Amino acid sequence: MIPPSPDFDIRYSELTDLDAMQRWLSEPSDCNGFPFGFEEKDDALKNWIGFSKFKASLTAIIHDAPCAVGTLFLMPYRKVAHHCSFYLLVDPAHRKKGIGTSMVRNLLHLAHTRFRLESVHAEVFLPNPISSILQKLRFEEFARQENFVKIDGRPHARLLVEHFF
Amino acid sequence: MVITTRFAEEADQKYLVEWLLQPGVLEGFPLSDLREIEDAARIWISYYKQNGVLTALCDGVPCGIANLYLQPYKKLAHQCLLAIIVDEKFRGKGIGTRLINELMALGKERFHLELIHLEVYEGNPAIRLYERLGFARYGMQRHFVKDQGRYIGKILMQKKL
Repeated sequence: MIPPSPDFDIRYSELTDLDAMQRWLSEPSDCNGFPFGFEEKDDALKNWIGFSKFKASLTAIIHDAPCAVGTLFLMPYRKVAHHCSFYLLVDPAHRKKGIGTSMVRNLLHLAHTRFRLESVHAEVFLPNPISSILQKLRFEEFARQENFVKIDGRPHARLLVEHFF
Repeated sequence: MVITTRFAEEADQKYLVEWLLQPGVLEGFPLSDLREIEDAARIWISYYKQNGVLTALCDGVPCGIANLYLQPYKKLAHQCLLAIIVDEKFRGKGIGTRLINELMALGKERFHLELIHLEVYEGNPAIRLYERLGFARYGMQRHFVKDQGRYIGKILMQKKL
């Protein structure tokens, strides 16, 4: 895995990374790629970073400052514990530098090696720049649902994609 | 036999647990044991607070429950996932059809839903019921369930309201 810069590193997430995540979603449009809206983000992000206690969340850092958080949402029931979904949030100031790709690669590695998962899936609200990263990393589409999400009153599709190890 | 429906109450959770424990039922759900069943039933019935759960009664006895997993976020609030279970003793009597029809009407009129969707596992005979009620498949997640080494795909179906 090639890091985006020499000062780039990835560590397990900590609860205190919540502050950075809230800063990265400072505008309503920053929430467009997520199911929660701007007014709903506080509770959603608290729940999200809560997965850090399972060591299922990674934080990318540059000069020790968080620049992305990606999390595996582990499944609570045994029959479905062999796969999970994930979410990724990258600091708007650090996009298009390969951080997203590196994070997804590392999340896949974590899923496969630590949690022995057989696949990882994701929900993508279109249009979303993460689609091209997921395609590059061999995520396959298994469902497309039109009109699933309404952003500013306009309907958008969601894509469901999965990567098998 | 008189079939009626009412909004579910919290106390109906015990019927969900009882019916999920009936032989063969867990083949249609991603649950394995009592702890998981009680957890899922607690979440399922919790939507009674928003009047999003219907209980069917046969001569006054609960015989089926269907619910809307109402979305907590505004941008998703126009659509919803549904779930249904019918007591094995009362299957084949039109209770599932009635519950889903009433749930769709509830979703459209009370919650202004535009789209309703569901998840069902490969081989489940209920697929025919869903198709008859106008649900169309929009995807499948293969290997969704792993039960004793055997994989079962999850079929995704939806219907515009």
